[in-house]
Amino acid sequence: MEFKKINNKSLKEILSQYTTWLTFVGLLFVLSVLTQGSILKWNSVRNLLIAESVRSFAALGVGMIIITWGIDLSIGYVVCLTASVAASFAQNPAYTSAIYAGHSFPLIVPILAALVVGGLFGTFNGILVAYGNIPPFIATLGSMSIAKGLQLIYTRAAVVGSLNQNFKNISQGSVGPIPNLIIYVAIATFFIYLLLRHTRLGSNYYAIGGNKQAALVSGINVKLGLVSVYAIAGVLYGCGGALLASRLGLANSLTANGMELDAIAAVTVGGVSQTGGVGKVSGIIVGVFTMGLINYGMSFLGIDSYFQQLVKGFIIIGAVYFDMRKNAKMD
Amino acid sequence: MEEKFALEMENLVKVFPGVKALDKVSLKVRPGTVHALMGENGAGKSTLMKCLFGMYKKDEGIIKIHGKEIHFMNSKDALENGVSMIHQELFNIPERTVSQNLWLGREPLNKFRLIDHEKMVKESKDVLKKVEFNFNPNSKMTSLSISQQQGCEIAKAVSYNASIVVMDEPSSSLTSNEVEHLFKIIRSLREKNVAIIYISHKMEEIFEIADEITVMRDGHSIGTYPCCDLDRDQLVSLMVGRELTQRYPPRESKIGEVCLKVDNLTSSSDRSFKDISFQLRRGEILGFGGLVGAQRTELVESIFGLRKIASGTVEVHGKLFEKTTPGKSIDAGIGFITEDRRSSGIIPLLDITANTTIASLKKYKNKMGFLKHEELRKKAKQYNDDLRTKTPTMETTIRNLSGGNQQKVIVSRWLMTLPEILIMDEPTRGIDVGAKYEIYMLMAELVKQGKAIIMVSSEMPELIGMSDRIMVMCAGKNAGILENKDINQENVMQLAAKFL
Repeated sequence: MEFKKINNKSLKEILSQYTTWLTFVGLLFVLSVLTQGSILKWNSVRNLLIAESVRSFAALGVGMIIITWGIDLSIGYVVCLTASVAASFAQNPAYTSAIYAGHSFPLIVPILAALVVGGLFGTFNGILVAYGNIPPFIATLGSMSIAKGLQLIYTRAAVVGSLNQNFKNISQGSVGPIPNLIIYVAIATFFIYLLLRHTRLGSNYYAIGGNKQAALVSGINVKLGLVSVYAIAGVLYGCGGALLASRLGLANSLTANGMELDAIAAVTVGGVSQTGGVGKVSGIIVGVFTMGLINYGMSFLGIDSYFQQLVKGFIIIGAVYFDMRKNAKMD
Repeated sequence: MEEKFALEMENLVKVFPGVKALDKVSLKVRPGTVHALMGENGAGKSTLMKCLFGMYKKDEGIIKIHGKEIHFMNSKDALENGVSMIHQELFNIPERTVSQNLWLGREPLNKFRLIDHEKMVKESKDVLKKVEFNFNPNSKMTSLSISQQQGCEIAKAVSYNASIVVMDEPSSSLTSNEVEHLFKIIRSLREKNVAIIYISHKMEEIFEIADEITVMRDGHSIGTYPCCDLDRDQLVSLMVGRELTQRYPPRESKIGEVCLKVDNLTSSSDRSFKDISFQLRRGEILGFGGLVGAQRTELVESIFGLRKIASGTVEVHGKLFEKTTPGKSIDAGIGFITEDRRSSGIIPLLDITANTTIASLKKYKNKMGFLKHEELRKKAKQYNDDLRTKTPTMETTIRNLSGGNQQKVIVSRWLMTLPEILIMDEPTRGIDVGAKYEIYMLMAELVKQGKAIIMVSSEMPELIGMSDRIMVMCAGKNAGILENKDINQENVMQLAAKFL
């Protein structure tokens, strides 16, 4: 062989490039065989899509954060807090235990409240990371506890229930055969795709995660970039929170517990590298549904939910292992 | 009489996906000699050494040490067999002390199998004495200068009593005095029959210290020659495979009006530069000379907006420039190629296009605020084609390119911002002769177009060969500006040591 570069990629390269998709398709194939095709029926697909919708918002948010070489542990409790806030503004006024008993609010209020609270939390995280130079792991660990505390104080540890039907319809309705939730996910995915792929801000995220110092020298406002990514993620968590409250018809202190781990796992499986600077929206979404498929498939097959945890754990470790072999920052 | 070699590498082959990095490479090193390994970046020198140390697995070939075939699995293996290496980059643990770093992984133990700190410090002192470095083994690595840290690496290599020592560009962060010191150590090792493989791009050093030279090119070994049989030009043509008649392109400088005016600039850090004033004119290359630690990099970083300024003013095209950020500097037409390509230049996992366009995205947005990807790609390709960046595709991730080609991508990045003033901090550090000349040509072309360049350089020939004027800094102060016939090595050195 001569000393020259080859343009057509080797099989190995192609495989490593499409690991995410191959995993998804492979898994789908295995489950279709095991369930004799019933997992491919519209009803199953629909259930899966609905079940993963809120997690998609969380994953899109944390996916962007991981691209900037950050992490967000506050997701679960921020979603929980925003769900509670949204729910509190959507309770039936006649319900005596309602937080604002006797008051009724226009439908826009619970939604906006959730988005604002989520956005504020994200901004707070971003400021800690960008201006406080606090490692993202610790900054968001702190804000996770703060969000949890605020949720308990705000709801007095009670269930925020008896939500009005209009609010519930936001997520429970459908357009033709397509549930609303799926449409929301599609819209959010499209926006984040535009942001990451087609705007300067999105390109900057990759540069910040890929080499912060080089980004700085290239005239990128790194601090502002970091604040914006956490803030946008926060707004996405707010969306997720509001939709979750709407779908469940209530919110309490257990809502969305542990969602940060599910979301981080999903984006990791989706090829967003822990080394920063690498990841695509398509990967994030495929990652979410891969994890969903694992959950759903195992439930479908009647496998004990304890085993599901076990399997999920190995999958996350496996995904990071392959990612590190591929993208580790070494020569 | 049969010749004996300390190290024999025969017909080594190493294939990476798509690239044959080593193609039947042979290297034979005699004990008690300094053997220079020369070649352009990407010629395969590092790959060869990594095969020796087991960091890469060789595909074919034999490695023998003192006549015995070996297969090292890792550096530890190599060290235990008397082969040690001084890396170009520092691999130390900054928050630990000199002696902790020196004995890392082989700390002397007492009878309870616990670390014997006293013995460790004592032995550190012995080793440091042997190589004539006088710093305290108890000081933290961070408190030492880069060159002192490099000294530690050398001491560490010596402490293993290795019979073969590989030095990969050991002098790249050393001043000329320190290089003399290094050579003294090398000569004493040579007297002790140690075989030394010396990798460097600096010709002056090679001809001073080497006994034999092996030249590599494009993954092949071209040949091994006694040092005295080659002259500089022959060596260069062996390395690049063509005659390089001129080292610096001819220049016709047409100096224009002042475009950058710096007055009494003082850093906000006490230990950095003070009271610096100079002017940069269109069509001019202004060299910044000085020893390591003269604060030249800190000065240019401050002008660009990466560091804080305590007092003084910067005027760009007659306009006062305050509270600068890199973004504002770029808007004002200033570009900045940083000294350290790895830590502040390339974004390793992104492709050539993204790496080229990252500083100019602002100029390529449509009305909706979306990026014009097609145009960005075309422009990026055009700049890289002009500079002859060697890459399979524009979608190749930049970390897969050689140092010289990475540098060309970084230069493309800054040309794409259409700068009027280009600051180049060590523009040819760690890149090969061929690529160097191309960078020089480009610099000449830019000033011909009326742009202005500030070049920070620690390479004396480059500084003298390329600069219209040279500002020499010493200990954070402007030691003097040399012009025309005053530009020569003696004057630069004298000014560089003016305040020491």
